[in-house]
Order: sequence, then C-alpha cells, then structure tokens
Amino acid sequence: MPITFIDIEKQKTWRIGIFYFILLCLYYIVAIAFVQGIFFIFPIFFIKTGSIFIWNNPHTLLIIFIFCVFLSVIHFYFSSFNAVQNVMKNIEATIPDTNDGIHKRFINILNEIQIASGNVKKIQPMVIPSLSMNALAVSDLRGESAVAITEGLLSRLSRQQLEAVLAHESYHIISGDCLEATIATSLFGLYAAMLDKLQSFGEDEKREGGLHPAFIFFWILVKMSYLLNLLISREREYRADAASVRMTRNPVALAEALYLISNNWRGTGTISSGLEMLCVINPKESEIDESEGFWANLISTHPPIKKRIKTLLNMAHLSLSDMEKKINDKHEKAEDIETTENRYYVLDKSNQWQGPYTTSELKEISWISPGTWIKKFSSEDIERASEDDFLNCLFLEHLTSSHSKHISDIKCPLCKQPLLKIPYERTYIYRCHYCRGSLVDNDKIHRILARREQKFNERITALAKAVQLDNQKNLFYRKNNNTKLETRQLIRCPKCQNFMMKRFYSLAYLVEIDRCGICNVTWFESDELEILQCVIENKITANSI
Amino acid sequence: MITSIFIAIVLILIIWVIIIYNNIISLKNQVKSAWSQIDVQLKRRHDLIPNLVSAVKGYMQYERDVLQRVVTARTTAMNTFRMLEKAEKENLLTEALHNLFAVMEKYPVLKSNTNVLELQEELVSTENKIAFSRQFYNDIVANYSTMLESFPNNIVASFFKFEPAEYFRVKETEKIKPEYN
Repeated sequence: MPITFIDIEKQKTWRIGIFYFILLCLYYIVAIAFVQGIFFIFPIFFIKTGSIFIWNNPHTLLIIFIFCVFLSVIHFYFSSFNAVQNVMKNIEATIPDTNDGIHKRFINILNEIQIASGNVKKIQPMVIPSLSMNALAVSDLRGESAVAITEGLLSRLSRQQLEAVLAHESYHIISGDCLEATIATSLFGLYAAMLDKLQSFGEDEKREGGLHPAFIFFWILVKMSYLLNLLISREREYRADAASVRMTRNPVALAEALYLISNNWRGTGTISSGLEMLCVINPKESEIDESEGFWANLISTHPPIKKRIKTLLNMAHLSLSDMEKKINDKHEKAEDIETTENRYYVLDKSNQWQGPYTTSELKEISWISPGTWIKKFSSEDIERASEDDFLNCLFLEHLTSSHSKHISDIKCPLCKQPLLKIPYERTYIYRCHYCRGSLVDNDKIHRILARREQKFNERITALAKAVQLDNQKNLFYRKNNNTKLETRQLIRCPKCQNFMMKRFYSLAYLVEIDRCGICNVTWFESDELEILQCVIENKITANSI
Repeated sequence: MITSIFIAIVLILIIWVIIIYNNIISLKNQVKSAWSQIDVQLKRRHDLIPNLVSAVKGYMQYERDVLQRVVTARTTAMNTFRMLEKAEKENLLTEALHNLFAVMEKYPVLKSNTNVLELQEELVSTENKIAFSRQFYNDIVANYSTMLESFPNNIVASFFKFEPAEYFRVKETEKIKPEYN
C-alpha cells in the first residue's frame, strides 16, 4: 500500500496510555506526600481514624486516588486536546502570509506533499519568526496538526530541500508518532519551556536565590520529560527520512537540507528545551545525539546527523565529500567566493539581530563598532566584534585610512583597536576612535583639570550631575549595608596588561576611573574625562545639587 | 457429516471470494480517485497558462514560437479525453512549458516582475503537484495490478472481468526543479 498508516497509528495509542499513567502516578505520589505532611503536622485531628501513617488508612488513600484521577484527567485533557495551539503559542508561530512570495511557496510545497502522500490529513502550515533553521511538527488528539518552519529555513533552503524537509515532517504527522511526541511535550515538556523562560527573566535579579518552592512541581515535570526521551525512539527519525525519500524520490535534497541545518544556527535559545523531540534536528547540539550505543539510543531523541546524511546519500550513490563540494560550489557561485565562514549576524542599536552580512557588506555599515555584539554565521557563540580577528582587521583598515597620522601603538582595553594620540587642552591624550574612551598619563590629569579651554555642552553638564547623584547614592547604600564594591568587569591596563584599579577620582568628585599603579596611567570611559572636568570646574558635588 | 463439511467448504469459498472482490473494488476506486486528483491539477495548469502567456508576451517579442507551442499544446491537451492519448498530450504540454521556463531564464527583466514570479511559482507548484499525484496514481495502479495478477486473486478477477488500469507514463526528463532564490 502507498501511505496509509492507520494500523501504525493504532499501535501508538498504548504509548499515549503510558503517558497518562505516568502523569497519574506523579499526581498520586505528590498528593500522598502532601497529605502525609498534614497528618504529621496536625496528628490530633486524624488520630481517631487510626494510625498516623497514611498507608494504614485505605479510605484516605482511595479518596486521594479519586481526587488524583480527577486532576490528572483535567490536566491531560487541557494539554493534549489543545496541544497544537499551546505549542504554537509557546514558539510564537503565526499563520503564513499569503501575499508573501516565500510564504506562498511554503503553502504550495506543503500542498504538494499532501498530494504525494495521498491527501490523508489536513496539515496547517505555520511560520516561526526566527532566523534560526529548524522545523517541527505537532498534532493533537482533536485531529489538528501543523508543521512550523522558521523564517531562516524558509528562505535559505531551495525548493526541493524544503520539500524534503516538509515530507519528513508530514510523515511524522501521518504516521502518528508525532501525536505521541506532542502529547509528551504538552504534558511535560511545555513546562520545561515555560521554566526556561522564567529562569531567563530572573537571571539578572538573583542568581543564587534558587527556585521558588511553587516551581517544584514544574521542576519534577521537567525532569520527567527527560525520562520520556526513553520512550521516544530514534528510529522514528530514520523512518521519517525514508518516507520523505519515498514521497519526493529525492534523497540528495534531504541530505543537503540536513547538512545545511546542522551547520547553521538550529535555534538554540528560541526553541525551548522541552520541544526538542518535535524538531527535525535537535536544536541543542549534544554529544549524546552524535554517539551510538545502547545508552545513547535509549536517552537521545535524535539519531546522529552524520549517519542520517550518509544513509540518504547512499541511496543516491554519493559520498559526503561530493555533497559538501556541491553545496560549497553553489555558495561560491552565488556570493563571489565568499564562504559561509565569513558571514555575520550583527545586533543593531534597537537590539535586533540583523544579517547575515558578508564581509563586503559589513564595510558599508556605519553603526558597527568593536563593542557591537556579533555572531558568526557558522558558530553558536555571541561575542563582541573586537574579539573577532577578521573584523579587527576591518576596523584597523578603516582607522588607518582616516587617521593614519595619529595612530599610536597602545590598544584600547575595550575595543582592542589602536588608540589615537590627539591634542586635548594643549597637551596630548590617547583616545579610542570607536568607544571614545581616553587614556591619560597621571601627571597630565592635573594639567587638563586646571586648563579651561574645553567647553562643555549641556549634555555633559546634565550627565555630570546625574553621575554624581547616582554614585553618591551607591556609596551611601554601600556604606550602610557594608557590601563590597560591585564587581564590574575590571579593565586591563593597555600598557602593562595588568588589571587596573577601579576607584572614584576623589570622595568629593565621584567620577569612576580606572587607574594602573604600575604605569601611572588612568583610563576614562567615554565622556568620563569631560564629566570630571565639568564637575571640578563648576564645583558640582552631590551635596550642592 | 460429509455434506456438512462440504457446505462449510463452499461457504468459506464464497466468503473468500467476496473478500477478494471487495478488496479489488476498493483498490479500483482508489485508482479512480487518484486519477481524478491528477485531473484537478491538469485542469488548474490549463487555467494558469493563459495568464502566464499574457504576462510575459510583452517582454518576449522574439520568442513567439515558444509561446505559440505552449498555447497549441494546451488546446490539444484540453480537447483530448481518452486516458492514454491525454497522458501523451499532457506530456507534450509539460515539455513546451519547460522550454518556456528555460527561455524565461534569459530575461532578467522577468525576474523583477512580481506578477510573473507569482505565476511562475504557481505553475511550478502545479507541475510538481501533477508529478506527485501521478506518482501516487502509479503507486496505486501498481498495487491494483499486483492484486489482479497474483495467484488466487487472478481467478476471481478474470471471472468478474476486472480490467487492468493504465499507468500514467512519462518520459525521463520529468518533474521540473527550477531554482530562483
């Protein structure tokens, strides 16, 4: 038979039964522990009924059991009947826009796949607004099902590659193994996803505080979701790959798609950890996924990508290197020998990721500076632009072309770019072109402070007042509470590379400076030098404001 | 005793024949519905072609004959109804369309025309749908033929005079995959 999977679907229902059973047990254990606790605290009220230990009271056990059945049925009903919508809400997916060319193509391809599979089931297309590359499939007990694709995947895969990925995902839905994964996810994994979000909110406030006791139940659910990985086998991914090939008759396209996804950002961070078993490739790069053996087979949800790609390529009698060559050739044609290595995402001023930009495009962008956060196209880490060798060369090139006369051999401690030696108040200071921080020899500070050629605009005056007040408050607070100086990152001295000491200029003039005791130099961050001058010239102290 | 065994055997035989008959019928209907699926897509392609031709006509003054081939292939395909013939004519139309797409690649102006791009996307999608539904149809026909020709079934099939279904045959260069992203 072509693809009629009704019998497979029947086999899957017992697994869903197991999920319900696990949930029930969980509720029962928690409830018994809770009631037992009450018994211990108020023994007098219950002593008449018999023993203080709950397992000697069959009536109480039964009542708790009925209560738990009731609760877990509600839980099960709400999470598994609306699973599609719940999951979609969690990943913020939306319905594709029919006026958008790329989205329209997505809808078309999904329709094609449905025809290829014999129109068994209606599948709702969804788009995840994320630059990462991943796809996931969900279906629930109401019979609704959806395939969600990230924008990154939609626009970066070719038509056949996308077709292959969609065929893979729709097999998950048609075969019914998506149903079991979705229910597992919505029963347990969604809480993991929620907890992820809560934790990232609370991270700045109190790192050592730990979790609120109310989260303990959620926490147990999260841990349960790891156990569920035991039940969800890797084999289903192989089966879905095979079915995708049967539908599209194009193993190479799927291999290429898997290769592209695995070598790009798979959505770590945007797709929460509880949802990983629904995705085409695990969003988190984990070692256990790439290894084989009994334990790896048991614990992980996805098989090794290399093995999947190899199996697919074997069908087409190709080797991995052939495919890599083909993909790289295409890139070269498209972007004048610019490899994917040299493409960057850049965080712009409104905190939005932009890109990926090629290196030639980066040169044209004026707002990028060494302090800007960037992410390489091929890697997962986010770093400052100054930490990237290639971008540093770019900045240096820019600097030498515009200010070649002033370049000194001292480097800015933040931007790692050469400082410019510029005249200031009839003497010389070193200033960074990008972050506007200044390095001043200690003996020159007094000269600068005494001289009054530099005029301050209103911004500096206002800033000076604000800084004074703020620092005064901090100082006062610190004295009263006896806490240590907050550990802002210490800066290394540009000359001797030792850590500089962070301190106020004086207790009357509360401007923060970094001083190196060995080289006798002081580092002012942007505007700090002007603020200090302004403060001293106008005698702005916190008490006088 | 013997008579009752004989009756039992006859009953089992009858039930068995009924089961086989029903299986064949259900497959036969699947073949029919798979064919109608192809038909829907073919019809859609016929509807889309005039739009595309009129959209690109202005840009492609020197490719009159390419366009003309598409138009004539469409009309002949639309006017044939017998299955074998229809498959052949539709293949001609597919070929003509591929030719048109290949020529369109030469005109960069067309790539910046959203209307043409949309139409092209629709046509490509329809082409793929035709290919997929034909693939599905052929799979079902294969099942149907296996059902008719395998051993005990063929007796029943020949008794009830089931006719084998036709494959939708195509030439090798099929299922276009243009890339314009």
